[in-house]
Amino acid sequence: MTAPSQRPQKLVAPDAVGGLIRAWLDDGDLLAIGGLFKQGRPMVLVREVIRSGRNRLKLVSSPGSGFDADLMIAAGCVAETFLPAVTLEDRMCPTFRSAVENGAITAHCVDALSIVGGYLAAANGVTFQPVAAWVGSDVPKHNPLIARIDCPFTGQPLYATQAIRPKLALLHAQEGDVYGNVRHLSTMTYADQMMARAAEKVIVSVDRIVDTETIVARPRETTIPCIYVDAIVEAAYGAHPTGSFPLYSIDEDHIEMYATLAEAARKGEAGADTALRAYLDRHVHHALTQQAYVESVGGAQRMKALEEEAASL
Amino acid sequence: MSRYPCSPAEMQAVLLARDLKDGELGAAGASAAIPMAAMMLARLTHAPDLQIAGEMFVNPRPRQLWNSMLDDRALGACEAAETFLELFGHSHRGLDFFFHNGMQIDAFGNINLHHIGGTLHKPKMRGPGAANISYAATSRRFYICTGNHSQRTFVPRADFITSPGYLDGPESYHAAGLAGGPCLCVTPLAAMDFDPATLRMRLKSVHPWSSVDEVVANTGFDLGIGERVEETRLPSENELSLLRTRVDPKGLLRR
Repeated sequence: MTAPSQRPQKLVAPDAVGGLIRAWLDDGDLLAIGGLFKQGRPMVLVREVIRSGRNRLKLVSSPGSGFDADLMIAAGCVAETFLPAVTLEDRMCPTFRSAVENGAITAHCVDALSIVGGYLAAANGVTFQPVAAWVGSDVPKHNPLIARIDCPFTGQPLYATQAIRPKLALLHAQEGDVYGNVRHLSTMTYADQMMARAAEKVIVSVDRIVDTETIVARPRETTIPCIYVDAIVEAAYGAHPTGSFPLYSIDEDHIEMYATLAEAARKGEAGADTALRAYLDRHVHHALTQQAYVESVGGAQRMKALEEEAASL
Repeated sequence: MSRYPCSPAEMQAVLLARDLKDGELGAAGASAAIPMAAMMLARLTHAPDLQIAGEMFVNPRPRQLWNSMLDDRALGACEAAETFLELFGHSHRGLDFFFHNGMQIDAFGNINLHHIGGTLHKPKMRGPGAANISYAATSRRFYICTGNHSQRTFVPRADFITSPGYLDGPESYHAAGLAGGPCLCVTPLAAMDFDPATLRMRLKSVHPWSSVDEVVANTGFDLGIGERVEETRLPSENELSLLRTRVDPKGLLRR
């Protein structure tokens, strides 16, 4: 007789995510955010972090970040960043810029290889990854994650970049199952797979939960196996305003609206700080469910337009 | 400027396209609409087998230009997608060519995306930083492409070297063990190359809507200007028509 399955499901209810974040992330901890620039960022989870009241966080991500980092800095959650590039691409990140310029945060000088190498080392259970490709730049002179070493075999000078082991990684993908198997449908998977292996705890938001049989039908498409995932939550449009391809595109209008508010606040324009606080209240602090958030940013009609743009590409 | 057949950004894309060679391997990073346009145009003209890889999307087929050019929207149709694991291999092997832009670009082609004024942790102005700094050092050559030709951008010496050009000239360049370096810098006003002996940037050609005086007034260092400076050759009808119908049908480079 076959014993009944005791396999625990990792699917958690949306209203349980805040508690998990508070349990798995303390003030001052290193937090990793998945995606790249304006794609595949776990925004529904980022808003939970802001609402959790955690502060003095250290942020790390893939080589490119932008909107979410700026929002978390604006919300006062961040003390240090280990982010190689922080930009909205069309324009700079206003709050990141002002926070570094006025000393409110420390933006460590790191590059893509030290971040990717750091995840690799952590994922492989070693303390550093050797790097040879840094020549001539001032970045290695200031990068706190690296050291000069001699190759034990050839004696040649090399850099070592230290393992990065985030306390918690927050990731977003399009699909997953109740056991935490994750499937990116997007062409790019960023550094999400490495972060999942490097972090102590991993929470993934997915646009939709699918049946495990559909995962088993195409196992090579499972980008992050369940063994690396601690919790998975279903949140339609969970990456908004960043894109979740091929399901919905980047909401450039929303990001531009935010950036304009944040830029006015950076310049100290009259009333701009209040307007930025009002943005955070409306879209983060008072939008307690994903449904309420989606309503706050234009509802079903706006989401349909972003879906149509993604489908037209 | 309306009496000229193309916009400054289109001129920049055409100039870069002309310099790319068939069969080479290269890539553009984020915020790189002009470089991506150059690669696509080169493929449609003299370099059908130009290979695009190194920034996670292998041989992408963008259907239009976007400001960012490093996401599924722009590059999702491609022959293969890589992850950041492959960044190590690409970075160590290097590419035939890459493209850089900077908040500051100096006389030796050094690129600064970190800070202007002050220090790294007490900057007067903090920039975005750069994702991958290795391509400047390990690629065979790189192009500098900026939409901003001003004394604020073109400075004698960058406050911080994010991506190295020729550092402080031949001695420091060779001492650092660098091998590639910047080969061509295109701006809305002019094209500049580098003197092989001094490794300093020098004026190569001025676009028809600008002048040597305007370029000099907007550059913070001596461009080694000789007696006669060429006028940049405008895009041919073929180049412009391919650019507008096949590469940039939405006219991003004309905005």
